[in-house]
Amino acid sequence: MSNYDSISQEISEIAKKLLKESKVDKVIGFGLGRFTKEITPIFIKKAEDADRLIFNKNCEMSLTKYLLNYKGEKVAIVAKPCDSRAINAYLSEDLIKREDLVIIGINGCPGIEGNTACEECNIRNAVICDYSVGQEMSEEEIQAEIEGFEDEIDKMNQAERLAYFQNEFERCTRCYACREACYVCNCEQCFTDSNKPKWLGESVKLNDNFTYHLMRGIHMAGRCVNCGACEMACPEGIDVRAFAAKMCSAAEEIFDYKSGMDPEQKTLLSEYKVDDSEKGFME
Amino acid sequence: MMIKKISKERFKKLFDELKEEYNIAAPILKDKGKEKILEYDFINDFDQIVWDRQPDSSPKNIIFPQNSMLGNDYKGSKYYDDNLSTIIMGVRSCDIEAVKVFDQVFIEDDSYIDDSYKNRRDKTIIMGISCAEREDSCFCDSLGLDPIESDYAPVYIFKDEDEFFIKIKDEKYEDLFEDLPKGDQAQLKALKKQRKEEFKESSFTLDIPTPLPEKEMFEADIWEEMTEKCLGCGVCTYYCPTCYCFNFFWEGEDGESTKYKSWDSCMFSSYSVHASGHNPRDSKGKRYRNRIMHKFSYHPLNYEGLACVGCGRCIDRCPVNLDIREALKMTEEYLLEEGGDESGKD
Repeated sequence: MSNYDSISQEISEIAKKLLKESKVDKVIGFGLGRFTKEITPIFIKKAEDADRLIFNKNCEMSLTKYLLNYKGEKVAIVAKPCDSRAINAYLSEDLIKREDLVIIGINGCPGIEGNTACEECNIRNAVICDYSVGQEMSEEEIQAEIEGFEDEIDKMNQAERLAYFQNEFERCTRCYACREACYVCNCEQCFTDSNKPKWLGESVKLNDNFTYHLMRGIHMAGRCVNCGACEMACPEGIDVRAFAAKMCSAAEEIFDYKSGMDPEQKTLLSEYKVDDSEKGFME
Repeated sequence: MMIKKISKERFKKLFDELKEEYNIAAPILKDKGKEKILEYDFINDFDQIVWDRQPDSSPKNIIFPQNSMLGNDYKGSKYYDDNLSTIIMGVRSCDIEAVKVFDQVFIEDDSYIDDSYKNRRDKTIIMGISCAEREDSCFCDSLGLDPIESDYAPVYIFKDEDEFFIKIKDEKYEDLFEDLPKGDQAQLKALKKQRKEEFKESSFTLDIPTPLPEKEMFEADIWEEMTEKCLGCGVCTYYCPTCYCFNFFWEGEDGESTKYKSWDSCMFSSYSVHASGHNPRDSKGKRYRNRIMHKFSYHPLNYEGLACVGCGRCIDRCPVNLDIREALKMTEEYLLEEGGDESGKD
């Protein structure tokens, strides 16, 4: 596993070089705020500012979504392995152009504090990059990291699950931080904002909260890269990742499909094979 | 004015007396998945109250709940009785000032009085608490407020280790505290002085004219850059103690429906969409401009004081740590560069 400090240093050096040689207009990465010591996304335009780029255990945001804002500009982006999968997914959906993009991929990702997705993560090296930082992790090392992981929700029976999610979604204020933090959620209009048809009530009630999270979960099938940005963004500490994570494991189990592994990969729902398993999710 | 000084045990007794006649809301730790968050709620047990740090949320949910089925707001809370008035304990200067903002808009504005807010507010007594320490993100004193004491709360608590001074400024409430032992005014004054001296200086100073010049700032080209990292969620507005935008709607099934009032957020892309589909605030920059300008220009132009109280919750709660202090510094730099040093006030 790589260490944060050396990753930070490598990122800064690459960014400095890219900016100095005018290979990119800006570098999207992590840095500290002006008044707080909290990690925040930063957008570096000058080589002399590249030293501000850092990587530590609090770099919890997925930066990939910002790429959608820079069509036609050349940008470099710092990508954790999960973020690199999200980049692949954007490439496969033709949402961004590879030639406009320089990817600084992190290998041997040491993980993010408090992010439960990291506990089960078996993609610890960037799956696409132009520059790699950190030390690549071997399959054995990765397996050792996630050994013994058990999905608590999988162990619950139906009634326990219902009670668990009721308790979670009761707290939801529908601020939509999970949606906005998610790279998948880039629809021009989210179903929650549609008023014809009206899918959701305006008041924040448990049944509507369920509708929101279930429908968002369904949309994650074959798209979620299990980065945990949704969970980290939630101000109420809700397990918002659970449904999406279930969709990931279901896609893998039923269709042997893992999203974002290759820029040429077709999306799960746009591909059909005659011998596809018909195993239903509800079975 | 009356000053009392009591021990923790005596305060607990007072609490138990008060709860017979009042609903009591105070900051308590709540389980939120892996973490615990300090939030105001209706309570029954004095020992649950956490006094020593700024709560993670303001008492907005008590005085202006996210959903109100008009006239029937806290149906779910075990310790709330609609027939009783409510005491909110342990409210800090920032949050008290925020209640003042609500009062200005919902009650004192001649053009319209919001009955549902007024009814609730008339039945609410705020017991303020003096801040002893600065949190990393708060800056109320940079906006001209006094974290040690606010004038807007009728009753104020000064916690000194395990003892509590209670200052009753509004004689209307003197009866409630009459039986308590008297506190020494000079001693309280000394405590306040010491607190003021020890209070860590804010790293942020507000060096811009307020109200912000409306037209100049509206047309400024800094907003998109300022919000480059903004995700466009509603966290800053939902946890802001002064954000009060709301929506009315009817909701129901099987032929029955109820009128609701729910929070809205100017940070949502659907906030200002017209029926035609046109959206005058079609980017995050434009939406954030509205948020900043409402707090630092439109509110002070129409009422008194700013509509930002420097509590710092938008900074703490933001998923990408977008910092309103940075936004204000960018505004300052823009105004300096453009030579716009005139405030928006005529």
